[in-house]
Amino acid sequence: MNRRKFLMVSTVAASLATIPGMASAQAANGVFDLTIEAVDSEMIDGQFVFSLMFFNKSAEGRPILEVTEGDIVTINISNLDTRPHGFGIPGIPTASIASIPAGGQATVRFTAPVGGSYMYIDPTLAPLNRIMGLYGAFIVKPKLGTTLAGSATPFSRASHTPAIAAVFNAMGTHKRFPGNKWIPTDPERDKLWLFSQVDPLLAARVDAGEVIPPASVVPSFVPRYFTINGLSGYDAAPHKVDETTDWTKGAARIMPHGRQGQPTLIRNMNAGLCTHSPHIHGNHVFKLSDSNASGAVVCAAASYELDAWPLPPLSRQDLLLPFERPGDTIIWPPVDEPFPMRYVMHCHTEMSQTAAGGNYPQGLVTHWEMTGAL
Amino acid sequence: MQTAADWERTGVKGEVTYATFGCNVFQESNFPTPDRVKPDVNVERHMDVSLNLPTPDGKTIRVWTFSDPLAATPALRLPTYPSPLMRFRQGQIVHSTLDPKKNAHTLHHHGIEPTTTNDGVGHVSFEVNARYTYQFRPHRAGTFFYHCHRNTPLHFEMGMFGPLIVDPPEGPGTLFSGGPKYDVEKIWCVDDMDPRWHTMEHSSGMCGEDVGLNRFDPKYFLLSGVFNNKTTTDTRAVIQAKVGQTILIRLINASYSVLETTMALPGVCHSMDGCALGLEPWNAPLPQAANRPFVISTAQRRDIIIKPTAKGVFPVRMRFLNWITGQVQDGGRGIIDTRIVVT
Repeated sequence: MNRRKFLMVSTVAASLATIPGMASAQAANGVFDLTIEAVDSEMIDGQFVFSLMFFNKSAEGRPILEVTEGDIVTINISNLDTRPHGFGIPGIPTASIASIPAGGQATVRFTAPVGGSYMYIDPTLAPLNRIMGLYGAFIVKPKLGTTLAGSATPFSRASHTPAIAAVFNAMGTHKRFPGNKWIPTDPERDKLWLFSQVDPLLAARVDAGEVIPPASVVPSFVPRYFTINGLSGYDAAPHKVDETTDWTKGAARIMPHGRQGQPTLIRNMNAGLCTHSPHIHGNHVFKLSDSNASGAVVCAAASYELDAWPLPPLSRQDLLLPFERPGDTIIWPPVDEPFPMRYVMHCHTEMSQTAAGGNYPQGLVTHWEMTGAL
Repeated sequence: MQTAADWERTGVKGEVTYATFGCNVFQESNFPTPDRVKPDVNVERHMDVSLNLPTPDGKTIRVWTFSDPLAATPALRLPTYPSPLMRFRQGQIVHSTLDPKKNAHTLHHHGIEPTTTNDGVGHVSFEVNARYTYQFRPHRAGTFFYHCHRNTPLHFEMGMFGPLIVDPPEGPGTLFSGGPKYDVEKIWCVDDMDPRWHTMEHSSGMCGEDVGLNRFDPKYFLLSGVFNNKTTTDTRAVIQAKVGQTILIRLINASYSVLETTMALPGVCHSMDGCALGLEPWNAPLPQAANRPFVISTAQRRDIIIKPTAKGVFPVRMRFLNWITGQVQDGGRGIIDTRIVVT
C-alpha cells in the first residue's frame, strides 16, 4: 500500500529505494524538471521518518541546482504529493510559484542573478513545508568573478568588497598561504553544508493528515535528528576515498579534502529552525558573505577568521577554508604522525550532536582531510 | 609507558565504523605523543572531581571539572567551576597532559590548530584512558578555551571546560603584538545549566539510549562561575576600573544559548576566536556602540577593549536566547546583569 519512495542510507535496498545526500543536477538548456514527493527517509540510527522532498531524475533527493549568472533558468515542478505546495528562492523574487495543487504542475522562468549561494524552498505554510524537507541548494556561478588582480572568486565582480578581493588575492601569494589560488572549476574545491533538522513527531502528524497551524511549528519544534545535506554523523563524511570518488554528490560533497595550499569554498546554509553554531577544527575559516533580510547575497565588508559562527534559520554564508598549515603544529610536515590530518566540523550548540536523544556524535558533524603538506 | 604508536588502534589509521564514532570509540592509554619535542611549558589536568554548587533557589547542582595538580598551592589545586585557566605565551611549545583518573576523556584546546592526534577528538584519533600529553605551539595571541570532547553535549555542559589565554611574547598587558594594551583584564565565561542534564552518567546516550540530550532547558545562568543573582556584586563578574585605564573583556560563550550582550559603554572588538583584527587588509577592529546588542553563538569569543572616559556605574546585560524560538530562556528569566564600575 505504501507507494512512497524510501530514502535509505545503505545502497543495498529495494528498487524503490534511493539514497539521501544531495547531488548536482545538470540542466538541459537551463531547464530543470523537479518533482515534489513524499518519502520515508532513513535517519542515521535506522529509523524512518516521513519527509517531503524535491527530486529530479537522479536517485538523490534535493538536487543541487547549478547555473551561471545571466542564464535563463526554467524550473518545471510536478507536485506528486497529496497536498498543495509552492516554490521560492529567497533573494530571487522572480523565482516564485505561489501554489501548485496536489497532482498539478507549474513552471517558473527567471534570469539567474549575481553569483553566490541561494536556497530553494517551499515557502508555503512557512516554516512547515520547509522543515518537512522541501529545500535544496541553488548555486549561481558568476559570469565575471575574478578580482582585478585575476583571482577567481564565487562572487560577481560588481559585488566584491576590498576585503573579499584581499582574501582571494592572498591565496597562493601571501606568505601564510603558499600553494594554489581557489580554483572554481575543481569540484573538490566547492563544498556544500546545507543544515537542517528533523522532528519525527511533527512529521508523523503531517503524515497523518493533521492540519498544523504554521505559527505553532516553531514553539513546539523538538528536533531529534540534525543533518548536513540530509546526512548525519558517520554518514556525513566518506570514510574511503579514491580516484572513483564523485566529489559532486553525497558525503563527498560535504567533506573538504585536499593538500595544504588548496583553498576550498564552503557554502553553508540553514534550512532548519535552529540557530546553529558551526565550529571547525584545524584551520579557521574566512567568512566571505551573508544573506540579508531580503535574501540577497552580500559580500563581507570585513572578512573575519572564525572557528565558530552563528548560522540562523534561512541564513546562507560562504566561507573559505584556507587549507593552510595548521598553525600550532611544531614539526611540519609531521614525521611520526601520518596523513591525512583529519579535523572535525560540528555544531557547538551540542544538542545538535545527538540522534534520537543520544548517540553522540551522530548529529551535525563532518570532518575535513588534509592529505599532505605542500 | 607505551613506546611505539600503533596507529591502527586509533581513528588515524584504524577502520572507522558507526560504532567507532561513538559507542565504541577508539581509546588509548599512554599513547606516545608523535614528534615529541622538549616543552617550554607543562600543564596538567585531572578529571577526578565533581562539585556541588549551591544554586540561587536553595538546591545544589553537580558539575564536573578538571583540576590542576601542578598548581602552586593546595588551595589552587582544589576543584573550581569553570575549570582552571591555562595561560601560555605565543610561540611556547606546550605540553598539556590529561590524566582522566577514571573513565575516558579528552582535552580539546579549542581554537588551537595542532595535528589531529593532539586535537582531542576521539572518533578521528582516540580518547584517553590514562595519560596523554597533547603538544602544540600557539602561534596566535588571543582568547581560547579547552574542554573535554567525549560525549561532548554532556561533558561540556557539566563544566569540563576552562579558559585558555595566549599572551603575546611581551606578556600580559598586551592583547597581541602590535595590538592594544590593557590595564584591567576580565574573563567573562558565560554558561547556562539545565539541571536535568546534571544527574546523568558520563556515557549517557552514547550507545543509542534516548536520554533527551537533544532538549536543553536551562534554569541557571552563570558568569565566570557566579550565578546571576550575584553578578551585579561578585568581583568575579563585576569589572572595576579607574578613569584613564583600559579594560580588556575576554568574552567566551560556553552556554548552549545564543548570547545577546548589551553594554552601556562603547568598546572595540580587537579579536575574534583568537584571531587579531586589523593586522591584514581583509578586516579591521570592529567598533561596538554603547547600548547596541550584539550576538555571539556557542563557543565564539570576542576580545573587547573599553576605555572609560567618565566615572559611573555602567550596566551590562546578557540575554540567553533559545536556539529555536529566539525567546529569552526559562520564561524570560535567562538574563545576567552585571556592571562596569568606573571610579
